[in-house]
Amino acid sequence: MRLERLALSNVRNYALLDLEPQSGLNVFIGANAQGKSNLLEAIAVLGIGKSFRSGRDADMIRDGCERGMIRGEAVRGEGRVQIGCSIVKNGNSTRKTFTRAGRNVRYAQFLGALTVVTFVPADLQLVTGTPGERRAFLNTALAQQDAEYYRALSHYQAALRQKSALLRADGNPDEELLAVYDRTLAESGAIVVLARQSFVEALAREAAIAHERWSGRGERLELRYAPNVAFEAATQEAVRAALASRLREVARTERLRRMPLAGPHRDDLLATLDGRPLSNFGSQGQQRTAVLALKVAEYLVMRDRSGEAPLLLLDDVLSELDEQRATAFLGGVGDYEQAYVTATQRPPRLPAQSALFIVDAAQVRREGSVAC
Amino acid sequence: MPSPGTIAGPLQALIDEFAKFPTIGPKTAARLAFYLLSRPRHEAQALAEAILGMKDKVRFCSVCFALTQDDPCDLCTDERRESAICVVAEAKDVYAIERTGSYKGRYHVLGGLISPIDGIGPGQLRIRELNDRIGVEHPNEIIIATNPNSEGEATALYLSRVIAPLGVAVTRLAYGLPIGGDLDYADEITLSKSLEGRTALS
Repeated sequence: MRLERLALSNVRNYALLDLEPQSGLNVFIGANAQGKSNLLEAIAVLGIGKSFRSGRDADMIRDGCERGMIRGEAVRGEGRVQIGCSIVKNGNSTRKTFTRAGRNVRYAQFLGALTVVTFVPADLQLVTGTPGERRAFLNTALAQQDAEYYRALSHYQAALRQKSALLRADGNPDEELLAVYDRTLAESGAIVVLARQSFVEALAREAAIAHERWSGRGERLELRYAPNVAFEAATQEAVRAALASRLREVARTERLRRMPLAGPHRDDLLATLDGRPLSNFGSQGQQRTAVLALKVAEYLVMRDRSGEAPLLLLDDVLSELDEQRATAFLGGVGDYEQAYVTATQRPPRLPAQSALFIVDAAQVRREGSVAC
Repeated sequence: MPSPGTIAGPLQALIDEFAKFPTIGPKTAARLAFYLLSRPRHEAQALAEAILGMKDKVRFCSVCFALTQDDPCDLCTDERRESAICVVAEAKDVYAIERTGSYKGRYHVLGGLISPIDGIGPGQLRIRELNDRIGVEHPNEIIIATNPNSEGEATALYLSRVIAPLGVAVTRLAYGLPIGGDLDYADEITLSKSLEGRTALS
């Protein structure tokens, strides 16, 4: 899959931009703070509906403007679809609207038109970071490929927020109402847990293969899904029952501590190297190689599941890696259809079929294709 | 648009009042005020009386909490109406269902949906009143007609849990495709709910 056009109006430092990215590798080169990452961010918004940076949606609107708009043309096999996202200031908050083929659609229907795999320097801490960051990684990847996952996750999170508020507000919460939320948590939670389980299994296979090829020392990378609530069989009914029974077990403690205590919002993804947890025992180099393998695996699994190669968005990450790892990463995803890379300097060796863009004070200029 | 100070005080006062309405900005407010200024006095008087009459006479029915002039309301006192009770979130929902003309039962307005985030628990809604009515009126069915969003769903589930022990049948409005719609344009959630709730052709 690829993006054939990207149009911005009043997004970050861009007043107006109309860009025609190429198949293959698109490299944005420029000094810092010229707008390279903003381009990748805009493409990510067309994929996942939100930024990969932290911060508020309002920050994406150009200073002094009321409304920012990102539009693009996504091409998938024979199909071609116009997608767009508008962010409009609305008092102190913002409102986002999504379009697909010229019609306003809900976020759930917008998702999946353009699938992206992003890789930014912060991802290098994925293995050592918080479980929340690893769950966000799983959620972003799964929501793009699986509409049912996104739906179940939204239900789950909505019920969890209500249950949290109920427990927090009242030392003696309504039992029947708690039971209503617990029922939704168990039903939606089961869908979330099963999708995560099968996704992590697929990730683990691909990551182990990629890792073995690179590490050379015969170290074995193992990824394991660590659900907060254990279950016996990987069926919806079994997981639902396990969640429901665990929620009953912790109900008393939840009321005492006034917070929800069990369920997939406490899941984790664990990485071990030869059986030892990478987060505690790995060297920085080992941790980085593991993240690289995880990202390659994310790309490959998403490609194999949908039959379409997702866009690769590599923001400032290749320069963070030594040349050996950077080459290994690009080799690992070798057959990408379209990738975007930002860099402060022209990379020494570019693959054939690369397009070079110079980014300078929100102006983007094509340098013509280069062959190596 | 006239700037403040150039407009006669009473006219500006009316513009300011209109501008407080939802979806009405200062320009539309001025247009409405100038329109009224151009109409004969009796039309303005009819409008003023309609507004005051509405404020003075419309109230909530003490039985079903729909909007009414007489208490209890016509819907509650109509002997021909069936015993079923249709439970809705807001008074305006009563009119949506009445417009269909195909429901012949009674109503009960909850006054909102359960949402602890917004500080609305079952105690803030008219659920106890619904329980009392079930004990008095012995309806043959409770039809829950809350919106199909997460608060509406939670409220429906909650009601079914607290009502079911009273021995009355509890049903929920079906989810489905809009009539005259197009399968292509239906979102996946609606479509899959419609599949789950499919009915036999006979």
